[in-house]
Amino acid sequence: MKTWFLGILVFLSVPAFGAKEIVNVYAWSGEIPDAVITQFQKETGITVNFSTYDSNETLYAKLKAVNNPSYDVIEPSSYYVDRMRREGMLEPLDLSKITNIQYIDPEFLNGDYDPQNKYSMPNLWGVTGIFVNKKYFDPATIQRWSDLWEPRFANQLLLLDDVREVLPMAMMSLGFSANDSNPTDIKLAYEHLLQLRNNIKLFVSDAAASIITDEDATVGMTWNGDLYRAQLDNPNLVFIYPKDGFVIWVDCFAIPKNAPHYQNALKFINFMMRPDIALQSSMAYYYATPNLAAQKLMPANIRTSSIIYPSHDILKNGQFQTDLSEQSLNLYAQYWEMLKLKM
Amino acid sequence: MKSDNTFRNISVSLISIWLGIFALLAFLLVVLLSFMKNDSTTIFSWQFTLDNYAALFSSLYALVFAKSFYIAGACTFFCILLGYPFAYILARKVERWKEPLLLFLIIPFWTSSLIRSYAMVAILKTKGVLNNVLMHLGIIHHPLQLLFTNSAVMIALVYNLLPFMILPLYANLEKFDNRLIEAARDLGAGKIKTFTKIILPLSLPGIVAGSILVFLPAMTLFYIPDLLGGAKALLLGNLIENQFLLTNNWPLGSAISVTLTLIMGVMLIAHWLTSKNRERGDFL
Repeated sequence: MKTWFLGILVFLSVPAFGAKEIVNVYAWSGEIPDAVITQFQKETGITVNFSTYDSNETLYAKLKAVNNPSYDVIEPSSYYVDRMRREGMLEPLDLSKITNIQYIDPEFLNGDYDPQNKYSMPNLWGVTGIFVNKKYFDPATIQRWSDLWEPRFANQLLLLDDVREVLPMAMMSLGFSANDSNPTDIKLAYEHLLQLRNNIKLFVSDAAASIITDEDATVGMTWNGDLYRAQLDNPNLVFIYPKDGFVIWVDCFAIPKNAPHYQNALKFINFMMRPDIALQSSMAYYYATPNLAAQKLMPANIRTSSIIYPSHDILKNGQFQTDLSEQSLNLYAQYWEMLKLKM
Repeated sequence: MKSDNTFRNISVSLISIWLGIFALLAFLLVVLLSFMKNDSTTIFSWQFTLDNYAALFSSLYALVFAKSFYIAGACTFFCILLGYPFAYILARKVERWKEPLLLFLIIPFWTSSLIRSYAMVAILKTKGVLNNVLMHLGIIHHPLQLLFTNSAVMIALVYNLLPFMILPLYANLEKFDNRLIEAARDLGAGKIKTFTKIILPLSLPGIVAGSILVFLPAMTLFYIPDLLGGAKALLLGNLIENQFLLTNNWPLGSAISVTLTLIMGVMLIAHWLTSKNRERGDFL
């Protein structure tokens, strides 16, 4: 009887004895292709436990919940790097181990969100703009976020399911900054969004490309990489950089505090920044890479695509998302919830 | 005999420990959290408060409760409407097909409900299976805009929960004593009267059991409104999810969750009381 019971116990605990090299990666869905992970495992012998999230808020909540449930590498957007850094949730990076930093475009280093890149390395970046299916609407008539409020778009719009995309969009349409923290302005933006309710068909973040391709939504907001990908299958799609401003985001690798496999995490991050790997990641989902050496390896049609790599003239209209104070963020979240509740 | 007892003791204590840790303790933590003060940097602070429950009475949250009840009620209604005839036929009319039909009812459970919801997206979308078939047959000429509507949410909820209505109904109707129907016929009752006076009242426990199994999950399957309703239609499940993952208000999320559990408890007690009364009625 006893041996039978012990046998089961031993059997159940075997995995704990296996001393395998491990790295636990928690990243945005649709940013790290499987092939890259397989290659990392093959080259280093380190097993990657890979899981994904579809909003910075989810990542933040999980890390807060149990003071890091054993993630080694995370991939917050720049403004969340800022927040986590200030709240002591990140481990400083040993920059001597990240030799591939030499390939990164200096414009993406030493940003305000993380001076001297003590805590983070940029992985991919992109722009949130407007998409239109020209079979249904004339792109020439949609040049600004404010155009989306027109009644002809009743029950048509796709919006990103992300508070830090939708409220800034409303703010820019009213002529405010995308990072506005003035409570009156935030309230105005919320009230403006309430008037958009009839036009909103859906909120979505991580499956937008297929919805756009299959014309389940014909106009709305999207990330430029998603649109490029959708356009390959549906040539009627057009991407527009809104004239009233747009948001530029950078998703960065970081190591959370108390990461159980710090050295492996460094290896993983450095690997992801190798030109041939950065090229693969960027080409898998068509998000722009800040890796200059990887850009040189790209086919000309992608390197020169105005959707993925907008010119400096266009980029002048863009704003990087920055972190907001605790109070402003709470206010954002409250209005976001109220908007959803009133849909 | 002795070894039998050891085995029983071990298995009972294993299950008790398992449930104690992962169900009871987890639930107690949620209850505890629901009385704590919200603090968005440290999740909660050790201060007793009833604010989280008071917040549920604000018009906004009350509206979500009302909306969820309405959707869950409608879902339960459709499940009874579709499930009752099916369970009836399954239990009483078909002999040879009974087992294959039951198997067909179970097979969907081999796939995760989340995956099946994605399949529903593929069926309902503008260029999806349903529209293609209907257009091909010439029944419609423009694709139906079903995806990201409340109808899509309802279709998916009913689809997901229908077996939970059918199985208890089937179990109930299968035990049904045929002699009662014969007696009713002998006494001159027509088919309709037999159904409304004999079969329906006696299958009420099955309907109630099925309704409990359908009603509560219908309010909490948060991924269905997310996937098929375009993340607009907020159910209580979505509200709870948002408190934990988006607004970082864990105490409020816990309070909503505890309230839901209480509603479930009340429903179970009501079910238990009615079935107890019924048993006593049988003896009289």
